[in-house]
Amino acid sequence: MIPETTGPVVLFSLPLAAAIVVFIRPRWAVPITLISGAMLLATALWVVVAVLQHGAWRQDIGGWAAPLGIGWTVDGLSAAMLLLNAAVGLAGAVFHAARPAGRTPVRDPRFFWPLWLFLWGGLNALFLAADLFNVYVALEFVSIASVGLIGLAGGSAQAAAWRYLLATLLGSTLYLLGVALLYGRYAALDLALLAEVIEPDLITAVAAALMTLGLLLKAAVFPLHFWLPAAHGRALPAVSAVLSAVVITAAYYWMVRLWFGPFAPLLGPEVATLLGLLGAVAILWGGLLALLQRHLKMLIAYSTVSQLGYGLLVFPLAAAGAVQPAWTGAMTLVLAHGLAKAALFLAAGAIVLRHGIGRFEALGGDQRGAVIAWVAFAIASASLVGLPPTGGFVGKWWLAQAAVATGAYFWLAVLMLGTASTAAYLWRALQAAAQPARVLPDRAPQDRAPQDGPAALSPALGLSALVLALASTALGLAAPIVARLLDAGLAVPG
Amino acid sequence: MTVYLSLAGVLFLIGLHGFFTAGSLLRRLLALNVLTTAVFLLFVVMARLAEPLDPVPHAIVLTGIVVTVSNTAVALALVVRIAGRVRAHPDDAGSGSRGDAG
Amino acid sequence: MGVAGLIFDGLLALALAWLAWQSTRAVDLFHAVVSFIVFGLLMALAWVRLEAPDIALAEAAIGAGATGALLLSALDRLATHDARRRLLYEPATAWGFWIPAGGALLGGLTLAAWKLPAPGLGHEVLAALKGSGVDHPVTAVLLNFRALDTLLEIGVLLLAAVTIWSLGRAPSPVAAMPSPALPALGRLLFPVFVLVAAYLLWRGSHAPGGAFPAGAVLGAGAILMRLAGARSWIRSSERGPWRWILSLGLAMMLAAAVTGPLSGQAFFEYPPGTAGPMILLLEVAAGLSIALLLFALYLRGEPRDDGPWPDGQRGDGQREGVR
Repeated sequence: MIPETTGPVVLFSLPLAAAIVVFIRPRWAVPITLISGAMLLATALWVVVAVLQHGAWRQDIGGWAAPLGIGWTVDGLSAAMLLLNAAVGLAGAVFHAARPAGRTPVRDPRFFWPLWLFLWGGLNALFLAADLFNVYVALEFVSIASVGLIGLAGGSAQAAAWRYLLATLLGSTLYLLGVALLYGRYAALDLALLAEVIEPDLITAVAAALMTLGLLLKAAVFPLHFWLPAAHGRALPAVSAVLSAVVITAAYYWMVRLWFGPFAPLLGPEVATLLGLLGAVAILWGGLLALLQRHLKMLIAYSTVSQLGYGLLVFPLAAAGAVQPAWTGAMTLVLAHGLAKAALFLAAGAIVLRHGIGRFEALGGDQRGAVIAWVAFAIASASLVGLPPTGGFVGKWWLAQAAVATGAYFWLAVLMLGTASTAAYLWRALQAAAQPARVLPDRAPQDRAPQDGPAALSPALGLSALVLALASTALGLAAPIVARLLDAGLAVPG
Repeated sequence: MTVYLSLAGVLFLIGLHGFFTAGSLLRRLLALNVLTTAVFLLFVVMARLAEPLDPVPHAIVLTGIVVTVSNTAVALALVVRIAGRVRAHPDDAGSGSRGDAG
Repeated sequence: MGVAGLIFDGLLALALAWLAWQSTRAVDLFHAVVSFIVFGLLMALAWVRLEAPDIALAEAAIGAGATGALLLSALDRLATHDARRRLLYEPATAWGFWIPAGGALLGGLTLAAWKLPAPGLGHEVLAALKGSGVDHPVTAVLLNFRALDTLLEIGVLLLAAVTIWSLGRAPSPVAAMPSPALPALGRLLFPVFVLVAAYLLWRGSHAPGGAFPAGAVLGAGAILMRLAGARSWIRSSERGPWRWILSLGLAMMLAAAVTGPLSGQAFFEYPPGTAGPMILLLEVAAGLSIALLLFALYLRGEPRDDGPWPDGQRGDGQREGVR
């Protein structure tokens, strides 16, 4: 019987090994990536089932226990994140493989596959990690892979990649300074160990502030979100999908790990309210800017800025006392957002390929070849807005329950306003499909119309988006299982 | 040790100041490198203060140096490629987006 | 040694602070870069004073050497295209903001750092050293206790090389030969580099040294040879051996990590008794990897078989190639 500890080993090693093979032999890139992706998805599912059956566990790398060695945490939340990563990774790979060759400018298609697999492995390492410095190295790994993937789109995407690189490097350095202070105070880098020995004094507070600041930069939380719209809006569709759905989520995941783990004694009402306010402003400001966009992908990118704000609401709601519903709600919402956002970007990618240009005026008329994509877009929008029975609905329901239970009607109002604005801008996007066809007089050279007819687009493009959108809906239908999974945690506060 | 601890703080400040007030892309990178050096200095000072000498921060800093040079190399490769483009639009805040991504 | 040491430390600290200031504020970019290189060299001295010889070696070779070479070669392209644009929001550069804010920040950080008890893990490392397979504590931490970090870090190096390759082709090397003595000197020095690297590698098991300083020195030597006019052998062709060789470090570390579960143990746990030889093997692999990847990073682009584009004509990044 294969021990369940093999699962995380595969999830870490397989993407890296596949990336090396694909780097050495680019000819086999697509089959190797797709096969590895399928294996990784199966393994992630296996880990989720294992956690549901046996509960969470911890693995010591190299057989060395903390504080000397590094560990891996495999609990409900990390298993769910690993599954999210696998789903988006596979769907994005399928999408990119199905793209018609020679249509859109790509810096060098050969390098997409190793970078994609490297990013996959780095993200898995990040979700499994339980050691603060290991997290730093994994964060840098993910950053460089992301920069490479963004830059593949060429042109203005490279300027966006540069801004992203600067912001993320600054974030990492601040994070590392926090780690240095913590190590100097406690001589421990392991999450569980720190949680036992931590005391709320000045050094710890400064360290917590620095690390949170660094992670906020990486998660593009208001007001540190300046780098995200260009980077996510201009990248290739598959890249935007994984960036918005998983990379941002990973930074948020670590904020949650820290504040519900070692820093829990520091999570006073002021800190919690501050984080919640940042989230609230992100929701409203991001939503407002999304409404003003005229380009489909930029709208979705601003939506990411807005949606991550919901995740931050977990802090004030949990600090006020409603820990269980706040935790379940926020995590479910973040997972649903990941799947739905990836679906939106992939669908938008297919739509833009069909029409040749992403501006709203051009998306009307004959939709043959993009029907599946628009359906996926609609379903994903439903989840993002929070219509029952999607995952988005379940998440917001739990959060609303938490708000009502603690009498925090301010956050409830934020929740409802955010939902309204999300509905508004997504409705605007969907309406673009219903408008009559229009030929734009001045097409920029890079906005070429497709040379072949719409039939030339592979259905796999829309299907990859549809599967993710349906998964986001299924998350809602499977709500009890999801709640049980998220409970199986070493990180759930008592 | 006081000297090096203060040096770490001063370097951190110089790096931070340089990062936010730099006019040139390259200078931002240099400031970032100074910033990371300050953090490494803190690690090593703590290693030295511990009794007996703690080798774990040394390993951390060695790893950090390699990661930093990798970041610098990628950043430079990127900077060189966008610098030519950037000259054409000195005040262009990035096309295609409306919002505060200025 | 007390007072003299203190004076030395003080002067060193002042020099370092001034050089850091110069590198971020000097008007001329070349001035800034050179200040940064000297800053790296003096930092190596500081590491020695802080009893961190491994870091001193790595800082001198990587921090000052490789980074300096990278910066100077990039400066070549940037000096004509110096972009003075503001990408981030700039708060007032006025002294009125930075002096009080800076003072408060400095005060807060120093206060926090001052009260650090710094218990350290020295005892734990020494206690576990016997079972680790090597005698040098830093090597034990890097390649046994925290080997996962090292694996990820070699991964970062490879990933950086792949990313740089994905951005475009390597530019042609510097055309001007500043001095005819340089190639001769290069030919004389390179065997010394290899010897020193090999020595450091072997020494790492029981004294300061190991894969990082060795790889750093070898990589710096390769860069020196390139500057002295040597042609780079590395080609990105899929038919050639270089993609294998560059990936070798990461591949071997992954293979070593997986032997653990395959023999019924934890991930990255060396089979009993084999820790020493495995660490040596990984050190060689990691050292070579670091050297070659540092050199690949210096090339700043994909070294293709049909030669690099002439510098500045096509312009990397302006070619929207569609294959």
